[in-house]
Amino acid sequence: MIMSQLYVVESADFLFLQYQLQMTPGNLSSHLSKLEKAGYVEIVKEFIERKPHTALKLTKKGRDSFKEYQQKLKQVFSGLPK
Amino acid sequence: MKKPDLREIEKNTYMSYHQDGLIDIFVGFYILLFGAGILIRTVTEFSTWFIIPAIFPSIMVPIWISFKRRITIPRIGFVKFGLRSANKLMAVFLGLTVAGLGVFMVFGLGGSIGHSWALALMDLIISNSMIIIGISAGLISSLFAYTMGLKRLYVYGLVSLVMFLVGHFMAIQFEYFLLTIGSAIVIYGLVLLRQFLQKYPLSRGD
Repeated sequence: MIMSQLYVVESADFLFLQYQLQMTPGNLSSHLSKLEKAGYVEIVKEFIERKPHTALKLTKKGRDSFKEYQQKLKQVFSGLPK
Repeated sequence: MKKPDLREIEKNTYMSYHQDGLIDIFVGFYILLFGAGILIRTVTEFSTWFIIPAIFPSIMVPIWISFKRRITIPRIGFVKFGLRSANKLMAVFLGLTVAGLGVFMVFGLGGSIGHSWALALMDLIISNSMIIIGISAGLISSLFAYTMGLKRLYVYGLVSLVMFLVGHFMAIQFEYFLLTIGSAIVIYGLVLLRQFLQKYPLSRGD
């Protein structure tokens, strides 16, 4: 779900993802760090007006992998009997 | 296993970012000011109505962005939409500009040609202006509703169409319709804003 959400936008912040995906901060944070480790998500921590801000976006690798995953899913679904 | 519907996710993302009602308040206020401008002209002969659509966006867009920063982003976070969404909106704006220029040219050429058919066409357009404005408002709202995925814009378009049609057949003045539609949209926007503020209070130390 995190990958799908980030795929349709250019970037989003932590709070936005949390509301969209209805996840707790801890849960979202642990998923994000796994995705970051895999090189799928880029996490940019910055300060905006002296407040901490976490911006998230898919890396090129993440975007390509998600596209590939989508195509594979499409093949699986098209192979199923109607 | 469920296949993720990216179009649906994109639409929901867009809708959740505009559930604050700010876009409704600003669009409604724009229509309201336009109506007020025409009313002032008919009462005081002071022609302000044509200035409003010209200066409003340049003043209101920065205010809208500042409201978004102060009200929406601290509550639900920030999202930057991709080029695809921006391109779709840009295409709609360009289409509308071209259509607007087309109408302007039809009127301009119609007046300068002076042919009987051109003058008859202009008479037909002027005498049915309320119907044409109603249909245009309906089409433009629907176009934005489709592009932005905001279903309430379809309702605004339909209400405008019905009101202008009623206005045409009941011979009610144009500005009163603008004032009514503008007020209704502003009020609905305020209701949405109130719901948004209640649903997403500032409680996370943001």
